[in-house]
Amino acid sequence: MKGNIIKYAQDNIDTDVIIPGQYLKIHDYVELATHAMEGLDPDFHSKVKEGDFILSGKNFGCGSSREHAPIALSNSGIKAVLALSFARIFYRNAVDGAFLLPIEVEQDAYDAISEGDEIDIDISTNKIKNITKNQTYKMKPFSEIIGKIISAGGLFKYKPDQD
Amino acid sequence: MGNTLFEKIWDSHVVVEKQSGPSLIYVDRHLIHEVTSPQAFDGLRLNNRKVRRPDLTIATMDHNVPTNDRSLPILDQTSAIQIQTLEKNCKDFDIKLFDINSSNQGIVHVIGPQLGITLPGTTIVCGDSHTSTHGAFGALALGIGTSDVEHVLASQTLWLEKPTPFEIRVEGKRKNPHAVTAKDIILSIIKHIGTGGGTGTVIEYRGEGITDLSMEQRMTICNMSIEAGARAGLIAPDEKTYDYLRDRKYTPENYESLVDSWQDNLKTDNDAKFEKQFVLHLDDIAPQVSWGTNPGMTCDVTDSVPSPDEFSKGDSNQKKGAEKALAYMDLKPGTPIEDIKIDRVFIGSCTNARLEDLIEASKVIKGQKISSHVRAMIVPGSQMVKQQAEEMGIDKIFIDANFEWRESGCSMCLGMNPDILYPGERCASTSNRNFEGRQGTGGRTHLVSPVMAAAAAIQGHFVDVRKMDLS
Repeated sequence: MKGNIIKYAQDNIDTDVIIPGQYLKIHDYVELATHAMEGLDPDFHSKVKEGDFILSGKNFGCGSSREHAPIALSNSGIKAVLALSFARIFYRNAVDGAFLLPIEVEQDAYDAISEGDEIDIDISTNKIKNITKNQTYKMKPFSEIIGKIISAGGLFKYKPDQD
Repeated sequence: MGNTLFEKIWDSHVVVEKQSGPSLIYVDRHLIHEVTSPQAFDGLRLNNRKVRRPDLTIATMDHNVPTNDRSLPILDQTSAIQIQTLEKNCKDFDIKLFDINSSNQGIVHVIGPQLGITLPGTTIVCGDSHTSTHGAFGALALGIGTSDVEHVLASQTLWLEKPTPFEIRVEGKRKNPHAVTAKDIILSIIKHIGTGGGTGTVIEYRGEGITDLSMEQRMTICNMSIEAGARAGLIAPDEKTYDYLRDRKYTPENYESLVDSWQDNLKTDNDAKFEKQFVLHLDDIAPQVSWGTNPGMTCDVTDSVPSPDEFSKGDSNQKKGAEKALAYMDLKPGTPIEDIKIDRVFIGSCTNARLEDLIEASKVIKGQKISSHVRAMIVPGSQMVKQQAEEMGIDKIFIDANFEWRESGCSMCLGMNPDILYPGERCASTSNRNFEGRQGTGGRTHLVSPVMAAAAAIQGHFVDVRKMDLS
């Protein structure tokens, strides 16, 4: 999976800046997406492209349980968020609804990858290739169950009794 | 080896356990509200599914309800639609709803315990991160997203990876329990362990500093467990817990026999092992005020605004985070916290809008007026809290001081109803999150206790409430 990086070099990006509270009443996901990241980066909507990835620091998605957060990012075109760590409800929501891939990366990847870099994520080998810089980094593998839910296309498509 | 309270509740709710990976956990109570449930009901309809246990599902409307006169129409059409949608969903799926005109309406985490719906030893979920509040009663209470809400509606279960048990001991006694509150205890804890300090854990709060607290104060503690990143927070039930829940509207008929079994079972064994531990000593704890844009960015009221350099020992993101927070908050390092002037005061939210919170705040303001440049509102957590306060005459104390006395709801905690901060406004707030824009775009939030908020309303700036006579 290839895409370009939008980097937010900070920790604790919370769900209130990913999708501010006043937009939680919007049911149309396309309209919701126009407000993604508005609390942090008002230019996000104009610069994001289909297939882009976000890279950020620790505790990404902390705060509210609003599933609108991964939904807004996903409908903006974001296919994966790479972060040093995730808040658990955001992580769970992202996987359950198959909205985007939450990928935990190591410090070396976080430091090395820059805004705009083209990267290639391979979840079968747990490798992240930086095409722009010709570097390769490891990603933290998904746990077995998370991998299965992702492969199935979300919680409601996953059939645990077939294990 | 013995088990922790959390492990005991977990084990008694496992439906399916696998050798590795998550377990299927039974859900005893599912609380729903208007914001995170509509898509879940859409999903049920799309797949022709029913609600498996409507009798264990309880709904109210709290997040986007206006807190002014309830006889007026809701002007915001998108809010009105969300409220009507919940009404329709509850009717179609036969779910009990406390609607906007119900005497039981209120913030979902305030009414659950008040109605006796929250019980020790149970599992409780809600599409809201502050569900951890119910842990104060020795319940395992988790906030979930909308996909999980749908899963619980359809199956009354959740797939969960087992979190690890985290012991937080609160030792010692507060010298001035009216001035140094449960809010100051939990803000101190988050200040020390950080906003990610509890990630992947269920916190059990223990020690004299916890057992000394009333049930309402314990709810304030458990409520903010999520602000430390924890999956849940809980406190072992005791006689205070059992007394609180006795004779509530939905207290089970066999309550006394339940209490007997809870007394025997709902405690952490002496030889149980916690994966992680933290100890907070209460002896010298001061009232807390948040200065930044997450709840871990908090200091004593007697401190000054910190310099980002103080955070340079950590990784570079910590210093940068502090710089960014100070810029957003428009604060200069070295400014004494007590010199920070405020424009707004909000006493409300699932953290601090219960009767005790209102009583304590009213002691601060009795016979006084709020500062002329401050707008202050008080939003009781539920209609029951509001009614009790009015019966005690507390509403008059606030109204006489020029506070706005409003109807119950989430109000200015989260900026999705008409109660918001305007850009640049600075607020002393008893809520739980000081994120950028949380209370309204460009609004600046300082998290404090109800007594600290009340004192700030009177003085127009933060003051150390330990200097006041609050007995």
